[in-house]
Amino acid sequence: MGKETELERVKTGIPGLDDILCGGLLRQTAVLVEGAPGTGKTTFGMQFIHHGIVACNEPGIILTFEQFPSQYYRDAANFGWDFRRLEEEGKLRIIMTSPEVSRALVEETGGQIERLTRQMGARRILVDSLSHFERLADSPVQFRQMIYGFINGLKREGLTAVLTRESYALLGEIEGQDESIPFVVDNYILLRYVEMDSTLHKALLVLKMRGSDHDKSIRRFTITSKGMEVLSRFEGQEGILSGSPRRMAESFIEAFVRRQGEGR
Amino acid sequence: MDQEDLVGRLMADMDADLLHFLQTKANSFVKWDLLRFFHENPHTTDTAANIARYAGRAVETTEAGLIDLAREGVLSTTRLGEMTVYSLSNNPEIRNLLQRFVKASDDRDFRVKAVFHVIRSMR
Repeated sequence: MGKETELERVKTGIPGLDDILCGGLLRQTAVLVEGAPGTGKTTFGMQFIHHGIVACNEPGIILTFEQFPSQYYRDAANFGWDFRRLEEEGKLRIIMTSPEVSRALVEETGGQIERLTRQMGARRILVDSLSHFERLADSPVQFRQMIYGFINGLKREGLTAVLTRESYALLGEIEGQDESIPFVVDNYILLRYVEMDSTLHKALLVLKMRGSDHDKSIRRFTITSKGMEVLSRFEGQEGILSGSPRRMAESFIEAFVRRQGEGR
Repeated sequence: MDQEDLVGRLMADMDADLLHFLQTKANSFVKWDLLRFFHENPHTTDTAANIARYAGRAVETTEAGLIDLAREGVLSTTRLGEMTVYSLSNNPEIRNLLQRFVKASDDRDFRVKAVFHVIRSMR
């Protein structure tokens, strides 16, 4: 890991996460943050953008396809982040648009994204959410190519990108979702609900980080009045990503009893 | 008091710039809504169909309003391939006037007068 820390890292500003990422994301890469509604994908992205502006002097852009900018102002204010002021200061731009237009804006020479990136000196972008691109593609192959081209356009502009994506299942495995996107992004972070002792917890796992090592443990995370915070790993549990984990001792006993039964 | 007198009295104490803005730009409820939408979401860049979806209105009426507002210089249009996309003009005078209009329309008295004017101009 010693050599990897020499690479330029982009701090997410999410307490606990940068340690898992061995110092942060690699510059000019794209991270896919996937999770069910309410898990904190947008909060993740807003915190990444806010931290970039206030702590790293890296202006940011938010491309939103569904949520109104006024909602971002309000949600950010709940965490004490003044997005309106940052926009007035020219350090942030929240653009409401659609996937088809944003794709054209990125691809176009001298287009809005290129112009804004240069004018503002933007270094970070949040795309919320990639799920809306799905309706533009006729096939998974076309969808993958479209996302690949879009991400490369963002990288060309020197942006480090957080791309959110909705997963349809609240708990457990997700079925019927296009699985090609994790292949075209550099980093892949899963946010999951986990039911334990009749209480919903939230889990975060870094599944992929191209060009860098990372912590593979499944971590608890919480969202407080200050934003997202990644906590300790889940101890003594297994099957976390199934959504309803079991204590390891229980599953050991279950497996042991089953084997005994099979042996009879 | 005939109707012309009433109109004259309602408009007499209205700021001349705002009255002109009302008469030439915010002269329908659809356009008024669109102006407020662009004021609240100033960096929106999208097609008429998508803006209609955000505004919760029919595409045809929205598009007609957007075209009028672009003609009046409140909105800018850009061609992106086969798409025409609309965004708020960068002209500081326009933005300032829009801000004043939206702020003024938070006042009930102004709103009553403005609504009366819009209804009258739609006849």
